[in-house]
Amino acid sequence: MSHAAPTAASRGPREWTPEQRAEIDKILARYPTRKAAVMPLLWMAQDAWDWIDLDIMRLVGRTLDLPPSHVHAVASFYTMFKKAPTNKYLIQVCHTLSCALVGADKIVEHLERRLEVDEHGNSRDGLFTLMRVECLASCGSAPMAQINEHYYEKLTPEIVDQVIDAIRAGRNLAEPRKEADQWTFPVS
Amino acid sequence: MAKVKINDVEIEVAPGTNMIDAAQQAGVEIPHYCYHPHLSIAGNCRMCTVETETPRGPVLEIACNMQARDGLAIRTDGDRVKQVRKSVMEFLLVNHPLDCPICDQSGECRLQDYYMDHARHDSRGVEAKVSKHKRQDIGEQILLDAERCVQCSRCVRFGDEVTHTGELRLMNRGDHTEIGMFPGERLNHDYQGNLADICPVGALTAKDFRFERRVWYLKETDGVCTGCSTGCNISVCHQEGEVFRYLPRRNDEVNKSWMCDPGRLRHHEVGGLERLLKARVNGQPGDGVAAAAASIKAVGAPKVALVLGTRASNEANWALAQLGKALGARLYWVAGNDAGAIEKSDGFLMDADKNPNTLGCRLLAEQSGAGDAEALKAALPELAVVLALEDDLVTRLGQAIPGLVALAAKESPTTKAAAVVIPVAHPVEMDCTYTNKQGRVQRNRRATNPLGDAAPAYAVVDRLAAALGKSLGTQMPVVTFLALSRAVPRMNGLDYKSLGPGGKLLAPAPAAALGGEAK
Amino acid sequence: MDVPRILTANWGVPDSHRLPVARQRGVYGRLPRAFGMAPAEITQVVKDSGLRGRGGAGFPTGVKWGFVPPAEKRNGKPVYLLCNADESEPGTFKDRYLMWLDPHLLIEGMIISSRALDVHRAYIYIRGEFRFIARRLEQAVNEAYDAGFLGKNILGSGFDLDLHVHVGAGAYICGEETALISSLEGEKGQPKLKPPFPAVEGAWRSPTIVNNVETLAVVPWLIEHGAAAYKAIGTPQSPGTKLLSASGHIRTPGVYEVALGYPAAEFLEKECGGLLPGRRLKAVIPGGSSVPVMTAEHLLKSNLDYESMQRNLPGGDSNKIIEAGGSYLGSGGFIVMDDTTDMVEGLTNLLRFYAHESCGQCTPCREGCGWMYQILCRVRDREASPGDLAVLRDLADNIHSKTICFFGASAAMPVQSHLIHFRGEFLERVQHNARGAGAA
Repeated sequence: MSHAAPTAASRGPREWTPEQRAEIDKILARYPTRKAAVMPLLWMAQDAWDWIDLDIMRLVGRTLDLPPSHVHAVASFYTMFKKAPTNKYLIQVCHTLSCALVGADKIVEHLERRLEVDEHGNSRDGLFTLMRVECLASCGSAPMAQINEHYYEKLTPEIVDQVIDAIRAGRNLAEPRKEADQWTFPVS
Repeated sequence: MAKVKINDVEIEVAPGTNMIDAAQQAGVEIPHYCYHPHLSIAGNCRMCTVETETPRGPVLEIACNMQARDGLAIRTDGDRVKQVRKSVMEFLLVNHPLDCPICDQSGECRLQDYYMDHARHDSRGVEAKVSKHKRQDIGEQILLDAERCVQCSRCVRFGDEVTHTGELRLMNRGDHTEIGMFPGERLNHDYQGNLADICPVGALTAKDFRFERRVWYLKETDGVCTGCSTGCNISVCHQEGEVFRYLPRRNDEVNKSWMCDPGRLRHHEVGGLERLLKARVNGQPGDGVAAAAASIKAVGAPKVALVLGTRASNEANWALAQLGKALGARLYWVAGNDAGAIEKSDGFLMDADKNPNTLGCRLLAEQSGAGDAEALKAALPELAVVLALEDDLVTRLGQAIPGLVALAAKESPTTKAAAVVIPVAHPVEMDCTYTNKQGRVQRNRRATNPLGDAAPAYAVVDRLAAALGKSLGTQMPVVTFLALSRAVPRMNGLDYKSLGPGGKLLAPAPAAALGGEAK
Repeated sequence: MDVPRILTANWGVPDSHRLPVARQRGVYGRLPRAFGMAPAEITQVVKDSGLRGRGGAGFPTGVKWGFVPPAEKRNGKPVYLLCNADESEPGTFKDRYLMWLDPHLLIEGMIISSRALDVHRAYIYIRGEFRFIARRLEQAVNEAYDAGFLGKNILGSGFDLDLHVHVGAGAYICGEETALISSLEGEKGQPKLKPPFPAVEGAWRSPTIVNNVETLAVVPWLIEHGAAAYKAIGTPQSPGTKLLSASGHIRTPGVYEVALGYPAAEFLEKECGGLLPGRRLKAVIPGGSSVPVMTAEHLLKSNLDYESMQRNLPGGDSNKIIEAGGSYLGSGGFIVMDDTTDMVEGLTNLLRFYAHESCGQCTPCREGCGWMYQILCRVRDREASPGDLAVLRDLADNIHSKTICFFGASAAMPVQSHLIHFRGEFLERVQHNARGAGAA
């Protein structure tokens, strides 16, 4: 099993599948203009092809009758649209004030050491990409990280190690975590 | 009308007038980058911030998003306004490369102008500047330097609202916001030059003009583009007899603030290789007027055809029509385009009729009973001398023409076939009028002196008449125009002064008259 | 403090996000009464309740609703209701739990609000990082459709409503209501010029109301209990309860529903659980990162309501409020800093955030946020001079209220308040630097 980011060739042609087209029709029905579907389509494309390349921007533009420059501008404005590939697990550690106050930097430093990341944040094992991001609205359960779609909260170096080990062992990120249904987080 | 107060001076303007324009009418300049009268309101540059009077006291607001209404009062000269302008300048310059010595916008750059007028601060920016993409070739006419951009979004709005091509976008966000194109794409329209015009700084520059001249050496003269029947208003930019560029001149009724690239590039023909500088008689240098007069005398008026020109001015056509009347010669006019014309029509400014004065020529033709192309073709066997006024008759008629006398500013199949060629002034070299396809009579002013032996066509016709013993008195265009406007009812007795900078529409055609403006 | 749980009644109930449980808990139970009322009556209840927008601005919700032109003045244009679920103000994390634990309450609030506003198509704009919550919301929306609470002829009332979840993609500014509209329309999330105001000309140039998740979630309670009951809670000008998000150096960070007017000292001690052992309170940012920081002394004298936080001064004059030691209730993001906090570090952190999040539209904010951040980095690293602090203050003043939206002020107020209240810490970082302003 290779964890490396998919190459252009392995991503297949940037054309919608019939299933995607059906989904696009549903999306378009939600809005009074085609342009409004640009973000939903970029999400769809990112889910399918991992990151947004120029061909995808052209495809989305063609689909919605928008100049590709518009799609490019939109993609460039929103930080969650990936304009470059990342490894399979994207770890985004919040480092805004509330998280910083309770040790976000330590979590980042621990991850950097543990994952042996390079200057682009890519781990030595090719499985993870580490990034610092701004506030993810998890200030009460700080420090925290978002790994792909999922929040990991109340992190300590020990918990980080457990999470990394579990992911390496093939853990399903969607597994529920106990913090998910809490809304207060007493300091132990 | 709405009564508004600008710095305590009350003026009346049309309700809804943008307050930047209203202030201008009151003689007050409100500095601005993003506002443009022919684009939507963006409100991002903040340079036009003024104080409005409110019941709660004065409030800082941007003038560009304010429409004149009764009782609106603004101040543009208060300390708070001055402070905002100063700080906006400081913010705009903190990441600007300050490369004025090598920037071709110098002299017409709003960063420079407003710095002198409103800022004059010492730089406090010691931080590293954000670097962006420089010297990008984004289209046939335009180079882009993103570092010089002030993110006013005028070019973005132009692409979205005028050309509907949407190529330019402000990418990214924050102080990394960068104007740019989709990678690999290029501007794909005929109005690129306008991007350099509306860019208030040196981000978008016109390849055609870059590094040709520092703009402070240039003089500007009001002209009319003669590239097609739209008649876009232009400024002819020239120095010491040389023309360096055409810029669109605002006329809300004709071209707003725009012009097409083919029209803009026509300044090259003024001193171009095809320009006619000397008269030719049978291919040799000679006195063209004398030779033409001699051949007319030799064959006699009935065998002479004078052909009015759709490229020629109203004044020249009037002069030629008068000559025809004086001689008893036959008059014709021939619609159509000259050799090499790209008959592109885009539903915007570019018209397929590439002549600046088809309507004016037609009006005088009708007035003087001139025949059309078919009549001329039919008459050719009986003719011995055919005088072409600026139009390329050989191409238009598609056949050889006997005894051709060509009055022309540049070479064409007609001048090459002509027995006698007389150089005439290029439009930038004379005062005259053209009537565009709307029926708008517009003034064109002399910017430079005629090159070589050229003279305005109306003066050449006057000399030709003199050589034939007739006196037309058409060498003075102001007088000539007056004569023609008195003689032509639809001209309403206009004179140069009453035409104003934006021209005047002809009176509507009487219902019974043949033709009209409609195509 | 004995406060009715208006917003958190169902939190902690197992499977509270699923329809059967929600219905059992009374969610959607207010619909029949709401459909029995004239739309204008619903708006009147909201007006009378004094409910103020919970996103941060605190503008009276009923008054905002009242700006929507009557049907005959809309030229046939639809009215849109947009739920602002972009929750991205640092220190604020309440809406995410509301949506996660009680999504049907929000949907019910949107149905009733739509009925009041003659809305037939509504959207929940949720930040992209909350996709896991968006999936739960979508599940709840589907459940609501299946049960006939959404779609055509809801509960036989003849009223139709479609509700869609729209997912953002990482841009703080989309929490600003006109930026949210731009984003929904498929543009970059950049705020729009006002006027026109969204209630008159918003999404797709139609009248549009944008309300925060928490605001909309209050509406069913208002229908059930009436405006007077709501006004009985809180203070006369700040009625009702508010969700506060507590974070930072406290023992029990989390989300708490309190009555407005609650003394900050009590909130800090009781809900927040006090400070960690041996620590002293230094500063609090009480309403999300954009509001002025308060000193311990000022904070402990404050009550948690809109007026008290502003020292009863008009909201627009932030300088006076800062000088009086006040701040804003904002979004209720209560960030606590104890005596271990380096205020220079903290402000630098916040300005990195604002420099990163400025949409880049208006000159002062676009250029100024990054500039202020760079100066602060030099201050933090002891590479700045006292003159840099003066420049910093100038820049903040030159950005504040000189831009299309409130973001400029949001970036300026932290700077202004830190420089006033913690001046010593900043001076200490620059006074030994003899290299001068230009030497860095």
